[in-house]
Amino acid sequence: MDRGKKKAVKRYFDYSLLFVTIFIAGFGLIMIYSTSSYTAQMKYGSAEYYFKKQLIFMILGFAAMYITYRIDYHIWHRFAVPIFVAALLLILALIPFGSEANGATRWIRFGGIGIQPADVSKLAVIIMVSSAVCSFGVKLKKFRYVILICIMTAGVQAGLIYVISNNMSSALIVLAIAFVQTFVAYPGYKIYIFLCSLLAAGVAAIYAWITSMLKSGKMTENFRLNRLLVWLNPENYATGKGFQTVQALYAIGSGGLFGKGLGKSLQKLGYIPESQNDMIFSIICEELGLFGAICVIMIFGLMLWRIAHVAQNAPDLFGTLLVAGVFAHIAVQVVLNIAVVTNFIPNTGVSLPFISYGGSSEVILLAEVGMVLNVSSKIRLES
Amino acid sequence: MEVKQKQHEGMVKTCHRKKMFVSILCVLLALIFVSGRLVYVMVLRSSYYLEKAEKLHERERDIKALRGQIYDRNGVVVASNKTVCTVSVIHSQITQPEEVIAMLVSELGITEETARKRVEKVSSIERVKTNVDKETGDRIRAYNYAGVKVDEDYKRFYPYSTLASKVLGFTGSDNQGIVGLEAKYDSYLAGTPGQILTLTDAWGVELKNGSEERDEPEKGNDLYISIDYNIQSYAQQLAEKTLTQKGAKSVSIIVMNPQNGEILAMTNAPEYDLNNPYELTDNLLESQLETSKMDLLNNMWRNFCINDTYEPGSIFKMVTATAALETGVVTLNDQYTCGGSTTVADRRIRCHKTTGHGTQTFTQTVMNSCNPAFIEWGRRVGTERFFEYMGKLGLLDKTGVDIAGEATTIIHKQENVGEVELATMSFGQSFQITPLQMLRAASAIVNGGNLVTPHFAVKTVDGTGSTAMEFNYEIQSGAIEEKTSEMMRDILRQVVEEGGGNKAYIEGFSIGGKTATSQKLPRSAGKYISSFIGFSSVDNPQVIAMCIIDEPQGVYYGGTIAAPVIKELFENILPYLEIGSN
Repeated sequence: MDRGKKKAVKRYFDYSLLFVTIFIAGFGLIMIYSTSSYTAQMKYGSAEYYFKKQLIFMILGFAAMYITYRIDYHIWHRFAVPIFVAALLLILALIPFGSEANGATRWIRFGGIGIQPADVSKLAVIIMVSSAVCSFGVKLKKFRYVILICIMTAGVQAGLIYVISNNMSSALIVLAIAFVQTFVAYPGYKIYIFLCSLLAAGVAAIYAWITSMLKSGKMTENFRLNRLLVWLNPENYATGKGFQTVQALYAIGSGGLFGKGLGKSLQKLGYIPESQNDMIFSIICEELGLFGAICVIMIFGLMLWRIAHVAQNAPDLFGTLLVAGVFAHIAVQVVLNIAVVTNFIPNTGVSLPFISYGGSSEVILLAEVGMVLNVSSKIRLES
Repeated sequence: MEVKQKQHEGMVKTCHRKKMFVSILCVLLALIFVSGRLVYVMVLRSSYYLEKAEKLHERERDIKALRGQIYDRNGVVVASNKTVCTVSVIHSQITQPEEVIAMLVSELGITEETARKRVEKVSSIERVKTNVDKETGDRIRAYNYAGVKVDEDYKRFYPYSTLASKVLGFTGSDNQGIVGLEAKYDSYLAGTPGQILTLTDAWGVELKNGSEERDEPEKGNDLYISIDYNIQSYAQQLAEKTLTQKGAKSVSIIVMNPQNGEILAMTNAPEYDLNNPYELTDNLLESQLETSKMDLLNNMWRNFCINDTYEPGSIFKMVTATAALETGVVTLNDQYTCGGSTTVADRRIRCHKTTGHGTQTFTQTVMNSCNPAFIEWGRRVGTERFFEYMGKLGLLDKTGVDIAGEATTIIHKQENVGEVELATMSFGQSFQITPLQMLRAASAIVNGGNLVTPHFAVKTVDGTGSTAMEFNYEIQSGAIEEKTSEMMRDILRQVVEEGGGNKAYIEGFSIGGKTATSQKLPRSAGKYISSFIGFSSVDNPQVIAMCIIDEPQGVYYGGTIAAPVIKELFENILPYLEIGSN
């Protein structure tokens, strides 16, 4: 009977998600080579310097993906707290061991490999929120428990990230992940509509205040305000804080409809510093044009749609929330990254998932996709 | 209980599905939003950012245009270009520093210390020496040392170095004309510089396979001038010889075609070396050490015939005589008795022949260059008509010669001219004109009354060899009557054959002329300018020449020292031009 039952149950596996992931990661590798080869040649005497490192990270990432795919996702429920604590300790480890770059401490180096604790933190929050929601069960019908979960999990991590590594963007992403997960878990809409309206109103108010201040010329020197001023008029700060933004806009604007062709970007020749990092999307625009850029966005859309599909059909709430967390992680970073690169929102360091150069984020993201694939494999197809 | 739980779970599930659906909708909406932003930046703002980006990536580099050459009237190149090299070293590329230093020392003749300094200096590129001749540049290139760069460039080159230096002028470091014809016709000679547009990276390094836009330079047009190399070089030799013989300050010779104003030669000895225009000539170095070098240089480059004025002296009697004859206040047979001096408004003005010339006809007064007689002729003409004829003969205006910096006439206001002033002006004193103005007036007097524009430039020729521009110069006819001109030619012939200009007489040639000896101001200094104007042939003047000797030592009479110079000149150029032999 046992055998018969096993034969009757058809297990699902989301091949589309796997292939989309492989495609994006491969495409990212090509873009890393394209963007970094010239400067790598100048700096390290080897055009493949970044490419080779990213290739190793990608192999590690796919290995991680395979492992998380093979591990039954329910195990994460049991290890939620240890992982969460480990992530916190990793952030705290930045204080003695962190290496500083551009006024922010974001990296811990083990030999030649750098780890961003913020990346680990994102995974930890995804697991912890899912686990907490399941533990709270029906209590969650009360919104104050939602707030409690958010503060206890994402709030703590985001706070530490912000305070210790001065990394506002990662902190916001961590909060956004928890927000989306609890949104999926909580049965009501009204409170979210209210919160979103409040947020929109707040942003609008700040925008109006800034522009009116700008007109009246009563601007005071303030770091955060400065960032907003640069955002409004990047070309007035083209040699200073607006440099990166302006250079990215030059790259995007000079792409046109079909771009200059793969490898033919000029902005990557030192005009955009470290163009293989957060600003890589601007080089994609320059080389592949609007057409290529929209294709990349559509592929991300396809990936997110597949992940959402898995979330909707996950066998239990824990699976749904786990996948919803991964969904939120990728979606928020993609949208924020493109919005930053096109100067739609003020400049803040957000990398483009699977494409931007960076070891720990590549490994973590692929591991997360592995988790999603594991959840997908638990979906029962009823004939 | 179990059923309830299941129902609850089922409800939750649909709720999560819906929420997930809302989430993916929001995300898709956000993606569409950022795509819209992309469309805005990449389509609507594309040209704006593209232009800015291109400006950022492009570096312009000028390519010098080859400057047009200057030819004399017979096609002899008097100003040309030569290839010169600039030798530089690139520190980061040098692999054999010691060999490079040794090579630079032996090839460029610089000290080892200088070479070492250049080679060992850490800079992107270090210039070692400019204006290295092409052979040396080629030899250095043949060593094939890494990090040694030899760039070719053009430099103006004057094959006859001092020939007509004060006419031709020279060019500056950017090949732009500074003085003389080089400056005046710079826009024709300069050509259009080309440009290379290259793409660079953020550090300004040119991309190896970056597309390169190249705007080829356009060579400047060649300029043909009226100077005749043979006449110019002969006149120049003669002037230099006279300068030495007479110990003069300067000797100028102008040779012109009186019919159309084409200047065949113009020299102001001492000339300077056009290939080294910033090296002072010896006699300037000896003088006034206190004046700044720039003043001395400007002085050296000065074209006395055009840029300076002088008192023309007795040569001007041609003008007074012309005015007198044409206004009918004298006839050729009128007589004047010179007693050695005359009195004008209580002032005694002496004749150069203190014993007096005795009774002379009008023609004889010109031949003798008798001052009291000319005071009388001037008085008869009267101030108003005197000025009128000066004007008609172009002495109150610039000549319009095509060299910048022409000096203007210095003269009393007409209303201030009293008897004394008129008297002195009648024999060419108390006003100043340029030598070229005098020569132009003399030309009009002998050519039948046509006031020509003295000039050098004839035409420009473009790269294909066809004429790009032909220069036309005004000739005002009817300045004086042909009849008067004819009488004047005959009088001036007699001046040379039997009068004060007899030292310019050449057996078998038809020559007319007039001498002058002007005392420089202040009169007490005892410094003179001796001059002579001669023309040939008398019946059909095709060449008119003027010699001015400034501050000669010893004998200073124009008839004695300037006339022989023109004689010597004519002896050579008249047969050459096939003019004037009887």
